[in-house]
Amino acid sequence: MGELRFRRCVRVGPRRRGGGRPRIGPEPFKLLGEPERRLLDNNKIVILGANGTMGAGAGCVFAGAGFQVTMLAREMDKAKAGLRAAQNAARADAVAERITLGTYDNDLARAAGEAGLIFESLAEDLPLKRHFFELIDRHRRAGTVVASGSSGLSIAEMARGHSDSFRKNFLGIHLFNPPQLIVGTEAIPGTETEPAVTLAVVEMLSRRLGRKVIVTKDRPAFVGNRVGFKVLNETAQLAAEHGVAFIDYLIGPHTGRAMPPLATIDLVGWDVHKAIVDNVYVNCEDDEAHACFQLPDFIERGIAEGRMGVKTPESGGFYRKAGKDTFVVDLKTGNHEPLKRPSPIAFVENMKQLHRVARYTEAMKVFAAATGADAELCRRVVLGYVSYALNRVGEVAESSHDVDTIMSYGFNWAPPCAIVDLLGARNTATMLERLKLAVPAVVEQAARSDAKIFKGGVLEYGRTFVG
Amino acid sequence: MPKPAPVYVLGGAQTDFARNWSKEGKHFVAMMREAVIGAMDSTRIEPREIETAHVGNFAAELYAKQGHVGAFFVEIDPAFSGMPTSRHEAACASGSIAILAASAEIEAGRYGLACVTGVEQMKTVDPATGGDYLGTAAWYEREAKGIEFPFPKLFGRLGDEYDKRFGLKDEHLAHISAVNYSNAKRNPNAQTRNWFMSESHAQQASRFNTVIGGRIKVSDCSQVTDGSVAIFLASQKYASKWAKRNHKQLGEIPRILGWGHHTAPLEFATKVAESKGNPYVLPHTREAILDAFRRAGIASVAEVSGIETHDCFTTSEYMAIDHFGLTSPGESWKAVEEGVIEMSGKCPINPSGGLIGAGHPVGATGVRQMLDCWRQVTQQAGDYQVDGAQKFAMLNIGGSGTTSCAFVVGK
Repeated sequence: MGELRFRRCVRVGPRRRGGGRPRIGPEPFKLLGEPERRLLDNNKIVILGANGTMGAGAGCVFAGAGFQVTMLAREMDKAKAGLRAAQNAARADAVAERITLGTYDNDLARAAGEAGLIFESLAEDLPLKRHFFELIDRHRRAGTVVASGSSGLSIAEMARGHSDSFRKNFLGIHLFNPPQLIVGTEAIPGTETEPAVTLAVVEMLSRRLGRKVIVTKDRPAFVGNRVGFKVLNETAQLAAEHGVAFIDYLIGPHTGRAMPPLATIDLVGWDVHKAIVDNVYVNCEDDEAHACFQLPDFIERGIAEGRMGVKTPESGGFYRKAGKDTFVVDLKTGNHEPLKRPSPIAFVENMKQLHRVARYTEAMKVFAAATGADAELCRRVVLGYVSYALNRVGEVAESSHDVDTIMSYGFNWAPPCAIVDLLGARNTATMLERLKLAVPAVVEQAARSDAKIFKGGVLEYGRTFVG
Repeated sequence: MPKPAPVYVLGGAQTDFARNWSKEGKHFVAMMREAVIGAMDSTRIEPREIETAHVGNFAAELYAKQGHVGAFFVEIDPAFSGMPTSRHEAACASGSIAILAASAEIEAGRYGLACVTGVEQMKTVDPATGGDYLGTAAWYEREAKGIEFPFPKLFGRLGDEYDKRFGLKDEHLAHISAVNYSNAKRNPNAQTRNWFMSESHAQQASRFNTVIGGRIKVSDCSQVTDGSVAIFLASQKYASKWAKRNHKQLGEIPRILGWGHHTAPLEFATKVAESKGNPYVLPHTREAILDAFRRAGIASVAEVSGIETHDCFTTSEYMAIDHFGLTSPGESWKAVEEGVIEMSGKCPINPSGGLIGAGHPVGATGVRQMLDCWRQVTQQAGDYQVDGAQKFAMLNIGGSGTTSCAFVVGK
């Protein structure tokens, strides 16, 4: 990962001086290296799993960037449903002009043979994915890049056993949901992926699709979901003791997130939440926050009863909507009761007022100085996020900047380094020690000189603090 | 008349125009604060150095039930307490009027360093209410009261007037929209940078591209945008000091080379009646551009590397093309067809994406345009840089072509 660096792109050919109807759309870039040429000159992308949320969203994103996209599904009706979803995501019927539809049985072999990139967006089922990779390996051209859209399965396991050429051109491209709105993206090369292929994909995603891309190691859940779902599951555990509405209020948007954590789990889906945390819990036994990935029993029970969050509106999740009314689950009884807003807590309300006028430093001073058990619980979760996120540097993330990028643009959460800067590095280190949380190396180093570590300013992180 | 003292543009910053500050639970002063802090960070200017501030804002009284917007500048930093500040309003040209006021003070020698901030928070209300508020930029009682989305209809009439006088094909308007959206994809602060657009989508009315009024569809319109922009204007004395400490030569720093400012009658029908027999549909807009060229000492549009123009609707960019002199009057379609206005063309228009692509926070737009001119002539426009840009022009319009402000920025 360390040796991967962006190369400067320059436009092809002389500047045209009038004359002739020009093309509209991204300028062609002259890029060095065969993988880049294959990806961009070919301009054809195949998506497997067209009817899934991510497959359809990816169709919208790639077609929106000017690629010719073939969306494949098991049956034509499902592919058509994927196209409709892509049109809705793009808010344009005309996106169909750049999309052709097909089925695996009739079209995979031909489409795979023509594409520059094949993007797999099937269900998170390793044997299923491996089966399709076998088919793709048979039909793809030698230089075609193959990417999995998995949100956390092992890239090595997916690549294992396929041809040399496949393994050299295979990597993960993790888009966050919904991909047309959330631009954070992870590129995950396997051990055998050619660095030039990773570079070409990162270049294409960044420059042509406007994504905020980081390169991560092939570890369970990669960077974004590893860090994000640690915090989300921790708040789910806390909800059992403190109540749903209280936790969502205490660890709410004022702590640097677009929406409260338990409402986020409802949006993600309880089944997806379970899949992600179970994957980390089973495969990262040495993790310093291993216990935070233990799925609460009530989520397991809820899934068995068909309670998945927003996707199951009748049974709801932590919350259930009925018309204009919102109900919240009582985790002791499993019943939904009318939502009662928790009593205001002074430091929370102060922080919201300060965020409202963009006085983020003052807000974090209030956060640091607040007294009482509620404030301490809030600090434990937020500083636990900072500690855990920045401790991933080296293990799965290349740099603290990458962690900041993916948490900011993949989750819409405050970048951990920005939180450190707002609190002050020395103060952060002291608070982490007091809370018996690991002090990440980057914080320890910054604390020596009380240096700033966030690469950027208020215009980059301001949006993540909600008033 | 002696030549006025030079006004230097030192740079600035803007908020991400894709943000929804109401969803973030924020007051418009938050927007101003982020923009001004960002501008100070990027220019390495300390708060105590700023001597005066001018704020461009259209309608905070309506959108945020808050007047006295200039005073909010003082809320940004304790060092600003006591600073002379003021707010300027000329509908969508509010930002330019703030620039003109600040530059006049610098020319007069009153102050050495001025911060000009544009701000508008528009997502506080539903689209219909916002459309009604925008109607106050026209003669509300006569042109907007009781009319749903009055401004698209007024600028639809601009297109109709072109059609009547010279002929107008909607496909040329669709092409203008597609170019702006395409340019916006390179601009990291553009509101629509991740939105889908194609020429065929822009050409056809559909469930996602509804007709707003007359020939104007959604794709012909700039969007409802929250945003703030801050720039610094300086005297030669301050600019010299600033250049020295930033290891620059004074000659490297762009200046406002020329400006023009004309106000036409408010009502669109009066404007059209007044321009009968004139080769230009909006002659006062043409005069503002010519004034800016004359003051900048340039003979024609051929001497600028590109233009940031006021495309609140595709028809206003269509109008700007011939009013800037890129074609003869009524022949803007030629520049559209020949690709003159595109990034690779002879005179790129709106490399930033313009109001349609980058966004249109009404009172901030003029300031954003000047910031983008500064980015271009200092080669700091990133992926939307026009190669080797030396001089850039801008046109900012308030109302239905009522207040026209043009500038040329360069070295």
